[in-house]
Amino acid sequence: MQAVLEAVVEPRRREILRLVRARETSAGTIAAHFPDVSRPTVSQHLRVLRDAGLLHERREGTRRLYRTRIEGLTEVRAFFAEFWDDRLQVLKAEAEAEQRRRDADRDG
Amino acid sequence: MPTEMADPIIREIDIEAAPETVFEFFTDPAKLTRWLAVEATLDPRPGGVCHQVHEGAPGRGPYLMHGEFLEVDPPKRVVFTWGFSNSDVGVAPGASTVEVTLSPVGAGTRVLLVHRGLPVAAVEDHSGGWTIMLDRLRAAVTGQ
Repeated sequence: MQAVLEAVVEPRRREILRLVRARETSAGTIAAHFPDVSRPTVSQHLRVLRDAGLLHERREGTRRLYRTRIEGLTEVRAFFAEFWDDRLQVLKAEAEAEQRRRDADRDG
Repeated sequence: MPTEMADPIIREIDIEAAPETVFEFFTDPAKLTRWLAVEATLDPRPGGVCHQVHEGAPGRGPYLMHGEFLEVDPPKRVVFTWGFSNSDVGVAPGASTVEVTLSPVGAGTRVLLVHRGLPVAAVEDHSGGWTIMLDRLRAAVTGQ
């Protein structure tokens, strides 16, 4: 989750995510939207976003195409959904073991 | 503010143990550390602390859950806030709540857990929701 949060701190990176949210866009077209930013800097932003799981990257010949990966932004909720699934299974096992122990104490 | 919140996480599980037995697993540190956390400091009354140390992600060190009990009604219901002092989790102390409702089913217990108030789950289909969500993510990082 840290990578996601760090990725979106930078305003240019948020602009990139907005730009390629609706449709796949080439690196060149993305760079053209930022005339005041050097091409290597744009490439760096794309790399950070891709590594954080926020951008989907596809190669087509020598071109690289990018699209916002919506599921990369569901991490906080997804993390805790899975967390509760796991924890509640352990709760069930532990509470049932505790109940058996109490019943045995009472009966014995 | 529905545009800023994810849908609640809702889970239900049936446990073959009495509600009284299950309830203690939310309020007794010795029992809570058997399933939820590695350490716990609990003062189970409204306004009391609900502090838990979680294992956290590998190589990240522990996650500190700094919660507060809001409702404690044994053996039926317990509600506490859920948030972490580690900003990388993205859920600040007080930001979300966990509501647990226990109901007897035969000799066992049905546990309903509702976790509300987590940051938005997906991008809204308009720029407003998108911007709000990104601002929240940024706020979680910078603490502003």
